[in-house]
Amino acid sequence: MKRRLLTVLALAILLPSVSVLLAAGVGIYQHRQAIRAVARTYVQDLAESTASRVEMGWGLTESLFTAKPPSRFWGNRFFSQEVGIPGWIAVLDAQGRVVMSTPGAQILSELWRPQMPIGEAVETKNRAGEAFTVAAYPAGDTGLFVMAAVSWKELLGPMLRFGLLLLLLVGLVGMAGLVGVYLLWKTVISPLKSLEAEVSSLEWGKDLPRPHDEAAVREIGRLREEFFHLAQTAIDRSVLWKRYALDLVRVQEEERARLARDLHDGPLQDVTAMIQRARLFAASEAAEPEKSVHLGLLEESAQAAVREIRALCDELSPPWLELGLTGALTELAERLSRHLGLRIFVEADSGVGDGLSKEKVLALFRVAQEAIHNSSRHGGAAEVFVRLFRDGETLVLELEDRGNGFNLPEDLTRLRLQGHRGLANMEERMALVGGDLVVESRLGEGTRVTARVPVS
Amino acid sequence: MAIRVFIADDHPMTRAGLVAALQREPDFEIVGEASDGNEAWRIIGETVPDVALIDIRMPGEDGVGLARRIKESGLPVCTLMLTSYDAQQYVMASLRAGAKGYLLKTASPEELARAIKTVAKGGIYLDSEVSRVVGEQEIVPESLSNREREVLILTSKGLSSKETAARLFISERTVQTHLASVYDKLGARNKTEAMLLALKYGVMTLEELLE
Repeated sequence: MKRRLLTVLALAILLPSVSVLLAAGVGIYQHRQAIRAVARTYVQDLAESTASRVEMGWGLTESLFTAKPPSRFWGNRFFSQEVGIPGWIAVLDAQGRVVMSTPGAQILSELWRPQMPIGEAVETKNRAGEAFTVAAYPAGDTGLFVMAAVSWKELLGPMLRFGLLLLLLVGLVGMAGLVGVYLLWKTVISPLKSLEAEVSSLEWGKDLPRPHDEAAVREIGRLREEFFHLAQTAIDRSVLWKRYALDLVRVQEEERARLARDLHDGPLQDVTAMIQRARLFAASEAAEPEKSVHLGLLEESAQAAVREIRALCDELSPPWLELGLTGALTELAERLSRHLGLRIFVEADSGVGDGLSKEKVLALFRVAQEAIHNSSRHGGAAEVFVRLFRDGETLVLELEDRGNGFNLPEDLTRLRLQGHRGLANMEERMALVGGDLVVESRLGEGTRVTARVPVS
Repeated sequence: MAIRVFIADDHPMTRAGLVAALQREPDFEIVGEASDGNEAWRIIGETVPDVALIDIRMPGEDGVGLARRIKESGLPVCTLMLTSYDAQQYVMASLRAGAKGYLLKTASPEELARAIKTVAKGGIYLDSEVSRVVGEQEIVPESLSNREREVLILTSKGLSSKETAARLFISERTVQTHLASVYDKLGARNKTEAMLLALKYGVMTLEELLE
């Protein structure tokens, strides 16, 4: 039921509408037939009874047709003007001349047809096109005829009109129903069906639906526009995501290449040199001085290898991260201040980073690393202030410089699209550990980076 | 009398090298070896050496934790940290945990012997390759005022300027002014250097740091 709701709905309107329309049609037809039968019977009876009275020659003839007939005859009511005459009666001779008639019966000559059958009612029309039922009867062997006519309009008018009107109204309701079904189908059901088909077959992040449906009602049109917008956003996202994935792969490959180069140029050369010295030492049968030269150089190479590997380790994943956030940030600050030649002040309340997960320590550490590098590289700052404190259950890391600053774009992902990954990376790192990152900067006024993360 | 030495290191080659270096000198007697923190703690308790050479990174309890445990137990054992990490914060962490010295594993046998002898006599030994600043030229530091010394000690314990200010009932700005003056007098560039130099020149003692 629910699955075919729209069809059911359309049928629920369509079927009654059609049956109402059919019933109205049948009603109109039968109504007409009934009216016709009533008129016929009426005229026939009228003509027949008048004819029999004329034939009997009850002497009533004169009084019958006077304006003010004696009241004992039922017909006088019938012939009096005041009542409003629905019909006319005339007595005609064999030549068709009017012998007697009720007032206004002149109309009968208009309706007279030469081939009019005797004793039977017929429908006819006058020149104005109004419908009448006429019947002619012979009055025995008097050679006279009685002709009676009734106007549909006058006798049955109200009945006809209102009966017909009612049926026509019913018919109109039926028609309106049909038009309703047509409009419902065209503007609601069909657009909904096509939208539904597009939604279900659409490949998210790849296809776009039609943006507009002119035939649809406004609400469905808007639904389609919203859907179009969503699909467009999904495509944008997937483009961004692809670029992001490519970025990741590229960065990873760059890192690996650099690492391989560093290992090759550094420790590998040193260890090779050590092996050479060891062999020379073993091969030298000569005196002590030569041996100790080889040994000295061997140790020198080994020391160099240790220093290089240690530096690589520090760069890849500093072991001193295990000292906790404050220790790690202090170590980072001291190292960077030596490398970058700027002063870095670390202010951390004691025990501020206690209970912080390794992931959070690492995320905050990388944020600080990136921010200090940015302050030096882009901001040209001479001093960086690092503050680490608690704000309720939130740990706040604040990095502030008084460097050049810059005008922030509203969306950090736009920077990523332009190839500047730093800020977007920082933001993502914080988001990954359930925190957030706010960057405040203005050209010429320095930069402040605030990272917040829940302690537990 | 020979100095009784204990060695804890999870790397057998390193341990063998250290033993070989120490056995050449008659001044040292090796009383035990361990390859992880828990075993080390047990043997230290049994042997009570004069000097314990402890690697910072070990399975079980790590070196800094072990040093703290030794300090808290009150055993008359001097701890000398021996590691391959050259991060100054390890020195800070070790000293705050009660270690008397810090030495890189790449140090020469002579330096190793000197370090053990120094801490055995109650001194502090800081590897000059790690704490470069302590290896730089000697100066005679201008003497610190009492307030400056208080600020230096609290800061060295790991308190922030704000916390130090609250402890001493002075303003944060005053704390920073005192610190700047301390750096200036000791020739330090940051808190870590100030602490190491203060220990080196005897401006501050290890006991004051651990109080």
